[in-house]
This record gives sequence, structure tokens and C-alpha cells, in this order.
Amino acid sequence: MHDFPPAVPGFTTAVREPADQSVVRGRSDRGTANRPDTRSPLRFLVWMVRQQADIVAAGAAVAVLWMMPGTLGPFLIGRAVDQGITGHSASSLIFWAVILLAVIIVGAGFGILGHTWVVRSWLLALYRTTKLVARKTGQLGHVLPQRTPTGEVLSVSSSDSDQFGALTEVFSRAVGSLVAFLIVAGIVISTSPLLGVLVLIAAPVLLLAALPLLRPLQRRQAIERNRSSKLTSMATDIVAGLRILRGVGGERTFGENYAEQSQSVRRAGVAAGVWQAVTDATSVLFSGLFLVGLTWLGALEVVSGELTVGQLVSFFGYALFMVTPIRTFFELAQKTVRALVSAAKTVAVLEQEPPWSEPVEPASLPLGSPIVDERTGFRAEPGELTMVVSALPDASAALADRLGRYLAVDHEPVSMEVDDKLKGRAARRARAERELQRRRLIETDRELAGGRWGVRIGDVDLADASLEAVRRLVLVSDTSSMVFAGTLQEAVDPHARLTLEQAERAMRTAAAEDVYEAMPGGWQGRLDERGRGLSGGQRQRLVLARALAVDPEILVLVEPTSAVDAHTEAMIAERLTEHRRGRTTVVTTASPLLLHHADRVVLLADGEIVATGTHDQLLAGEPRYQRVVNRAMDDEEVPAGGAR
Amino acid sequence: MNPMSSTVGTAGESVTSQLTGPMTDSAATWDHDRTRLAAAGSLPPRIPQELRPPQGVGISRRLHAWHGRHLLRERRAQEFYAQSRNPVRGLPVAGWPAVADFIKTLLTRRRTLAALLLIMNGLAAIAGLVVPRILGQLVDIAAADDSVTATIDRLAVAVIGITVLQAIFTFGASVSAAIFGQDLLAAAREYIVRTVLRLPLSRVESASSGDLVTRVTRDVGTMSDSVRWGLPQAVVALITTVLTIVAMLLNSPLLALPILASVIPLWISVRRYFKRAPMGYITEGGSYSKINTSLTETVEGARTVEALGLQRRRIELTDDDVEEAAQAERYTMSLRNLLFGVIDTAYNTPLVWTILLGGLGYAHGWVTLGQITAATLYIQAVVGPLDQLISNVDRLQVGVASTTRLLGIAAVPQDREPGEDRPSNSHLLGEDLRFAYREGHDVLHGVELDLQPGERLAIVGPSGSGKSTLGRLLAGINGPRTGRVTVGGVDLVKLPLDQLRTEVSLVTQEHHVFVGSIRDNIVLAREDSFDEVVINALRTVDAWDWVSRLPSGLDTMIGSGNASLTPAQAQQIALARLVVADPHTLVLDEATSLIDPRTARHLEGSMAALLQDRTVVAIAHRLHTAHDADRIAVVIDGRIAELGSHHELIEADGEYASLWRAWTS
Repeated sequence: MHDFPPAVPGFTTAVREPADQSVVRGRSDRGTANRPDTRSPLRFLVWMVRQQADIVAAGAAVAVLWMMPGTLGPFLIGRAVDQGITGHSASSLIFWAVILLAVIIVGAGFGILGHTWVVRSWLLALYRTTKLVARKTGQLGHVLPQRTPTGEVLSVSSSDSDQFGALTEVFSRAVGSLVAFLIVAGIVISTSPLLGVLVLIAAPVLLLAALPLLRPLQRRQAIERNRSSKLTSMATDIVAGLRILRGVGGERTFGENYAEQSQSVRRAGVAAGVWQAVTDATSVLFSGLFLVGLTWLGALEVVSGELTVGQLVSFFGYALFMVTPIRTFFELAQKTVRALVSAAKTVAVLEQEPPWSEPVEPASLPLGSPIVDERTGFRAEPGELTMVVSALPDASAALADRLGRYLAVDHEPVSMEVDDKLKGRAARRARAERELQRRRLIETDRELAGGRWGVRIGDVDLADASLEAVRRLVLVSDTSSMVFAGTLQEAVDPHARLTLEQAERAMRTAAAEDVYEAMPGGWQGRLDERGRGLSGGQRQRLVLARALAVDPEILVLVEPTSAVDAHTEAMIAERLTEHRRGRTTVVTTASPLLLHHADRVVLLADGEIVATGTHDQLLAGEPRYQRVVNRAMDDEEVPAGGAR
Repeated sequence: MNPMSSTVGTAGESVTSQLTGPMTDSAATWDHDRTRLAAAGSLPPRIPQELRPPQGVGISRRLHAWHGRHLLRERRAQEFYAQSRNPVRGLPVAGWPAVADFIKTLLTRRRTLAALLLIMNGLAAIAGLVVPRILGQLVDIAAADDSVTATIDRLAVAVIGITVLQAIFTFGASVSAAIFGQDLLAAAREYIVRTVLRLPLSRVESASSGDLVTRVTRDVGTMSDSVRWGLPQAVVALITTVLTIVAMLLNSPLLALPILASVIPLWISVRRYFKRAPMGYITEGGSYSKINTSLTETVEGARTVEALGLQRRRIELTDDDVEEAAQAERYTMSLRNLLFGVIDTAYNTPLVWTILLGGLGYAHGWVTLGQITAATLYIQAVVGPLDQLISNVDRLQVGVASTTRLLGIAAVPQDREPGEDRPSNSHLLGEDLRFAYREGHDVLHGVELDLQPGERLAIVGPSGSGKSTLGRLLAGINGPRTGRVTVGGVDLVKLPLDQLRTEVSLVTQEHHVFVGSIRDNIVLAREDSFDEVVINALRTVDAWDWVSRLPSGLDTMIGSGNASLTPAQAQQIALARLVVADPHTLVLDEATSLIDPRTARHLEGSMAALLQDRTVVAIAHRLHTAHDADRIAVVIDGRIAELGSHHELIEADGEYASLWRAWTS
């Protein structure tokens, strides 16, 4: 039987078959054990349950057994009362008591087993979802955050996954409840048709009667949740801006704003509490009246001799028990709806495919060849240090993306979440619109990424090599590079490939020795997530050290020293040249301290390379270059300059 | 010529020493095995082998192995719990007595409400307990041979009346629980935020905000849950349970014996559970936030993962995180199973004994049929509240654990005690400044700095040289270890914060926009400012144009979730705050280094207006800033190596001069 955590295979990117584009459309194919069915939310849920069908079925079977004290207990008590107590037979009394005891012990035993299996089934679904998200992220890489807001990707793993777990759990329980309901129905109707029907009908009616009250209650709870989540974001906001609040001031204003919102949450909470009280009181009233009615009718039947006392006692038990299965059915309906909503969000992430497909026969990328971008006319000679200067930093960053075969897009990711206030058709329309937007976006990506890429290494277009080979040969270290949590050693050497000397050399070149010094425990010192706790400059130099340590054939660095002071920048410039001697390096920058050391500087303007030469040559003879570089010198720090 | 610039030679040496000095213990801290083991594909797994069940062995061996794993998981939970109590970095955690005091204060202020809550719940419970008694009587009457239907009808009407009363009391109890819980909660969270807003300046500036964010979000959430649901339900359940047992004793002491006897195993196993469960659940919660944290990094850093080819590693990391969570889940699952096994039996077996005793008693005429019926009804009725009591005590424990973390914020000692002296002028002076973040590791070594009012001083130097630290001392964020920074003859750290803010301000690259109106975002330093002051400030930084065009003007809500600002507008808001604060001295720490070059140009005027007529200390990344300043201080290795105007330093031909040549040639 399946046990958690489940083994989940990774996703594979489709191989390109020129005639058949449908391969890359994940939507049209059925799921397999290796690949979720993403044709619709419902199909996804079915796929999810099928993956662990054995445990779900076992859970349902056990649920029948662990409900036995509830289904059989009242009947056995009735028998004990009738035959043992009023019948004055000690042996019957003991007989029925022993059976009752056996049922209780068996129920408790299966309760343990059932709990174990239900947890197993829940966690299988939860962990499977988390693992699928991790694998999808690995497959899609930089494309994923461009299409879907990261918050939505993460909530699939952290909260939608829980809905799937909850569904498998309640499903098992609902099957058990159904069987229990049928057994009880058989017992009560055969005992007394009138009371039996009353018990069977009353339980669902009682729950249905509470439904009209639930709606206003839920509405008030939603208001409370909304206000409360706003309150939480206010608290986060205060913490995020605490330096300013304590440094510049404003504690009173924002403390009072928080208190005001806190009071409004309190009022909403009390309003919801009053409705909760109404529901509670109603349920007490209804179930009390039901019990009275039952007893009254039962007592009359006992008087007229149609019912024994024991049977009446067992009806009391069933009246209390029957609410449980009915409640479970409601729960199943509710959780199915929630799971479908979650499944839609999950499918939106998992159905995505990379915009490119792998070539059938990947070409191998030549070593020691120039890298050429056909669109801008950029060319970096092998073994040289080439620097790109542009008036618009974004333009050089875009060139770096092209060199590394990254899909640089100027669109925002499309959120699949629509405004809570939209209801019914408006919400559906909004969702459909988002869906369309997203499809268009995926289509655009595919057009951009399909076919020739337009960047060659030697004679080979990057699209003709496998993406993995491109990534191995060309490393683009962009400004958004992430420092991951872990030890400093792992941060500099994520692949566990370096010797100490190599790591030290990379740290020296990046002038990141102070990062080492700042870490208690040296290489084993722990970095927080995203390198939080390091200054911007320290993070940047650590990223640089990591890129250098990978030692790729072609290294593309985007603004590697933008957050570093002039002293350190000068140091890095000098050491970088030495470090990368004989390897192809491309740096985008406008800093003269770096440009000095370039073998070749190219000027990028209006999407084209317009001038090539050394820093000195361009500074002497190229006015557009002078303007860019001088501006870098003039403007970067306005304050002291501007005030004069 | 400044005498300091003659120390160029030593400065040069110290630069070299800085290149060879650091990372001396590098070889000692490097894990050499990692590379070797990774190459062999045999890095030790995060989840030790002992936590995996053995395959293909007999049932007793498996049970034994399970017990071993359970104990190991228990130890892991204890370790995690201990670690989470005493974070290496981050804020302290308060002790349980502090929580008790806190709760006591909150409760004594709400005595009437608390009493009402208890009375209402008691009445509701009593009404509920009368019903089975009457039902029992009904049964007795029905079973009697000479029963009259009229009596039955009368009793039924009585039960209806009591049921209605019970419903009314339940309503009252629920409402008072909501009012009480919400009030308690609001008071508690407002208190927490007030303590956050009182955190000492130096602490706020140095600590990363992660821990604090977790506390004001997750811990407040957990506390809310336990106050809103856990507390009222636990109270109700406790009252009901106790009263039910009382009712059973009143109904028939004999028939109450089984349920009283079952209290003992119940008590033992529940206690056992409560001793372990909170650690288990806190570990479990921690394991899930670990999954989230690393997955967040993977998703947000998807490009970095792809660039470095780390996909497999990141997936393995998540798988390991999942397995760790699975282990935590297995531990709490075992705890629950052990508990459920006992309580399922403890709830239900009294039914058997009650019937047996009932049979015996009935035969001897000690009890009536009605008493037996009532007793079985009571047993079935007590299960619900007992269950609730147990699950809510669980919740309360986790809530208390969160509360200790919240109250820990209040335990941070204040870093300054304001004196009575007030500055006589705006002359800022630093004497013999030394400072250490870690004891014994001074980052400043006796810095002397005399700022002339109105001058522009640029501080340059390599990273790690102490220039930011110097900036923080000059802005009064931290007090120096030795020496003092004075303004007009008074120590900066002896000034009350309100006063300090109007003397000197530290401006960093951060420009947080708060959730609130534009006015709220600007009046920070002088919260009672009139609108004219705000408008003037906005005019000064060239922002009034766009603000006045906004539909609600100064009342426009900004910050996350509201109207969004461009980075340049956000920066202007930040500058306008400082105009309102109107300090005579500004310390700019890389204030514009992270601004998009395109917005920098736009902000030139705003910034210039702010700096007009103030003393400015600019910690500079770019040499051009230094060039334009009145004086430049080159900080190297915690000392001012060179000090003078641009021309003086160029003439001195030291560190600064060589850097300048590299920059401009």
C-alpha cells in the first residue's frame, strides 16, 4: 500500500517534432502515473485520488468498522435493557454487555488503523502536490514567475494541497458513513416503522434547517476574515517600515491606525459571534425538540406495548448518532467544491509547458568560438573580456538574456485570482478573461522561443543545442540573482564541486572576504533565506563569487558591481581580469573603473552595436559613449552634487 | 593641508593587510568531505536511516523498531522546540510566568464579562443536564403498568420548556464568549504592536525583520485562534463536563462509578499527550514553514536555479523538507493514536459497566429504569465536551507558546535613557569613537570627527571598513563603545527620540511606503503637523503637482493594496518626510545607490531641495559625490585614513587620488 511521502517523478520537456505542435500542449493528453491529468480540475482530482486509490479504499473500509460502536452500540444497549435488565436475566445481560465491549474495543482498534490510513492518504495528496510544484518549477525555470505570480504558485503547494488531502480524508469517511447510515436505517425501520422514519428524516431535516442560518454566518465570518487579513498586513507593514517608524517617527499614527483596524476586526468578530450564537442556540433547540418528540412518541408506543423500553433507549442513541453521517455528507459536498477551486489553481500551474521543445538531435556547441547575436550585431571573441555599455541598462540586460537564451518579457504575470467581491457570472467572466490572457501569453512565449534563436556560438544556433548544454556553456548572472539559504560554503559552491583553493580564489576576486569574516563559523556560517542579513553590496559580491566559481566557458555578468563602492569596484575590476584570463567574459556596465580593464568595449544604442573599441579609444572618439560614461560619473549620486 | 592625509602610507599597508588578513581560518571551516562525498553520490541523508522502518522482519521486531523511531522523533521534536525557544539570532522569548501575569492583567480588567461568561455557560449546561433526567422519568412512567398518557404529555411539555431555556442560555453563553474573546484578543494584539513600536532603535536597525514578521503574523494568528475558539470552547467544555458528572452523581451515585473510574486512565493518557503534543505540533509547524521557505526561494529564484543548473538539488531539497515534515507528522500521529486508543475505550466502556451495574441495581431495586436511561444518555452526552476539552487544551498550549514569543518582544531592554540636557547649537562632534558588534571585535578604532554646521562631508572607503557604522553613530542610532557623539554639547544617545529625530536623521536606500493616507506617510516626525506643513514639504520635493491631482489629495490611501506609486514618487514621499522632520544634519547611507538611474535624474531637484541649508554626511559609493563635497573622509579599517577636500587629497596622492585617477582616466 502507498505510504507518504510519495515518490514523484519529474516532468520531461517534449522533444520537438516540427509537424506536430500538439506535443507541447499539455492540455490535450491524459494523465499517467508520471504526469497529472490537467485537462480539467475535475479530471485532476480524479487523477489525484487514482494515484492513491488503494489507501483511499482501505480508509473507507476501515471507517465502516470504526463507526461500529455508533451503528451497533444503541441496538446492543437496547437488547441488554430488554433481555437483561427488564427481563431479569443476568446471563443475557452479561452476554450483550460482552458483545458491546467487543464492539467498542474493535471500534477503537480500527479507529487507530483508520486514523493512520486517513492521515496517510491526506499527506500523500498534500506531499504529492508540493513535490509536483517543485518539479514543475524546475522544469519551467525562469519562465514560471513571468507567467504566474509566485504567490499563486506557492499557495498551490501550501494551501491548495491541503484541500486535496482533506478531500481524500472526507471521502473515506463519507463512504463509511453511508454504510453506517444504511445499517442504522435497517435497524430502526425494522424496530418501529414510525419512529424509524422519524429518525431517518429528522437528522437531515435538522441539518437543512440550520442552512439558512449558515449563510449570514458565513458572510459575517468572511467580513471578519477580510478585516483580519488587512489587520495582519498592517502589522507586517509596521514591521517592514519599523526602521523608518523608529528612525523618523510616526509610531503614534500607525499604532493608532492599527488599533482602529483592530477594533473594527473586533466588531466584525462580535457580529459573527452573535450569528454563531444564533446557530448554536438553534441547533440546541432543534435537536432538543427532536429528542423530546421522539421520546414522547416512543413513550406512547411503550405504553401501548408496541415498543419495549430497551428499544426506546436505543432510539435515543440513534437520534444522537445519526447527525454524524449526515454532517459528513454535507462536509463531502463542501470539501469537493473547495477542492475543485483548488484544483483549478493547481492545474493552471501544472499544465504549463516550457515555451521551447528540445531538438530531436541536439547539436554540440563548439568550444573556443565567438558568440554572436544576430539581432544587435554583438560579438564576443573567445578568451576576451568584452564589456557592453548602453544608455539604457535594460537594453544591455536584454542582450545578456539573449546571449544566455533566456526569455526576457516585458509583461506582468497573470493572476488567476479575481476580486472577492465579484460573484456568479461576473466572477466567471473575469476568470475566463484571465484565462484568455494567460493563453495568449503562453502563445507569445512559444512564438518567441520556437524556431531559430538568433544567437550563435561558432556556427551553431542556440536553439539547435539542448537547453542544458547551453546553460552549461553560458552562465548569465543577472541582477535578480538569488542567494539561497544554507551555509556560506553551499552558497559559493552549490554543486559541491570546488576545492578550497578554488572557492577562496572566487571569494578574493569578488572582494567578498568581508562576507566570510561577517559569518560566525566561516564557511559553515548560515545565511538566511535570500541572503537576508547581508547588505546589498555583500549579496552582490557573493553572487559574483558564485558565478566565478562555476567557471563557465562563457560568463555573462550584468551590472556586477552596481551596489559596490568605488574602492571595492576597483579591486574587483583588477582581479576579475586576472581571474577570467583566457575565458570568454561579457560584462554589462557603465563604470569607468571596470571599463578600463576590458579587452574590448561595445556601445549598444537603439538595439544595435554602434561602436567597438577600447575604453580609451571610445572615450576619445565616440561622443555617444562619452555621454553614457560621463553620465555614470555625474549622476550616480545626486545628493552632494545637486545641492551645490 | 589636513594632517590626516599624511597617513597615506599606513593606509596603503592596511589595504594590503586587508587583502591577506581575512579568511585566515578558511581551511579550518571548509568542509572538505562535502566535495568528495558529493562526487561519490553519498552525501549523508538529512533523515537518518534509523527513522526508516526496517523491511521484511517479524511483527515484534517491527514494533520494537517503531518504538525506537518514536523515541528518536520525540528527541528531534524536543531539540527543535528548544531551538525555537532560544533562537540564535532574533528576539528573546518570554517565560511562562510572564504569560500568566499577562493573562491575569487582561482578565482582571474584564471581571464582569468573565463572570457573565461563566454564569451563562453554567446555566446552559444545567438546563441541558435536566433533560436526560426528565427523559428517564418518562421512561419510568412509560414502563410502569399503570401509566397515564396525560403524565407523559405533561412531562414532554416540561422538557420542551427546558429545551427552550437551554437554547436561550446557549445563545447568551455564545454571545458573551464572542464579546469576551474578541475584546481580550483586540487588547492583546494592540499591546503587542505597541511593544513593537517601542523596540529600541539600535535593535531595529540591526536585526533582520524576519523573526518579528513571523511573530506579528503567525504568532498573533495562533494566539487569536486559541483565544477566539480555544478559550471559550475549553471553558464551555470544562463547565459541561464537570456539571455532567455532578448530574450523574445526583442521578445515581452507583451508575456514576464507571465514568468516574474511567477518569483515571483518561487523565494519565491525556497528561502524557499534553506533555509531548505541543513540541510535536510546533515541530510540525516548523517543518511546514521550512518547506514553504525553500520552495519560495526556488520559485522566486527560478532563474538562478536554472542558470546554475540547480534544479535537481532544489527538488531534492524540497523532497528532504517533505520527508522531514513527514517525520514530524508521524510523531504527532503516533501521539494521537496512543491517545485515541485510550480515550475511545475510556469514553465507551463505561457504557458497558453502567449497563451491567444497572442490571444488578435494577434487580436489587437500587435503581430505576429511568435512572439507567438517564445514565446512558449522560455518558453519551459527556463524550462531546470531553473531546472538545482535550482538543482545545491542545490549541491553548500552542497559543501560550506563541504568546511567550509575543511577550518576548517586550523583554528587549531599551538602549538609551534620555537625559534632561538639550543641545545649545547644531554642532555635531564625534570623539574617540570605538564600536563593536561582537565583543572584542572593534570595527571603529578611535575615530575623531568635527562636523562644521552646513558642510558637506563625504565618507568613502572599501566595504567592511566601518563607514556605515560611523554613519550610524553620527545619527545616534547606536551609542559608541567608547567616546561620544554630541550635538551642541549633549550626547546624542541621551536625547529623547522625538528630539533626536529633529536634530539628525539617517537616510538609507529604503523608502518604505506605509499603508495609510499620504498625510499619514509624511507627518511621521511631527505627527500634529497642519496640512500646510505637509503641502509645503511636498512642494519642496516637487511632489505637490501629482499629489494635488489625486482625487482625494492628501487623504489618498497609498501603500500595499492601495494606489501604487512609481519608485520616484515613493522616494519623494520619503524625502518629504525628512523635510517635515527638518533635522539640521542628514546622514545619507548609500541613499541613492539603488535608485534606477532614470528616476535619479528626476529626483535630483527634490534631493537638492531637502539638503539645502543642512549639514550633510554622505556615505558615498560613487566618487563623484566625494568630488563635490566640502571634505572627504577616507575610512579604511575603522580609521579615518585621509581627510580633506578633493584637491587636498589629490595633492596628497594617496588612496583617494589613485582611485580618482582610475575613475576619470
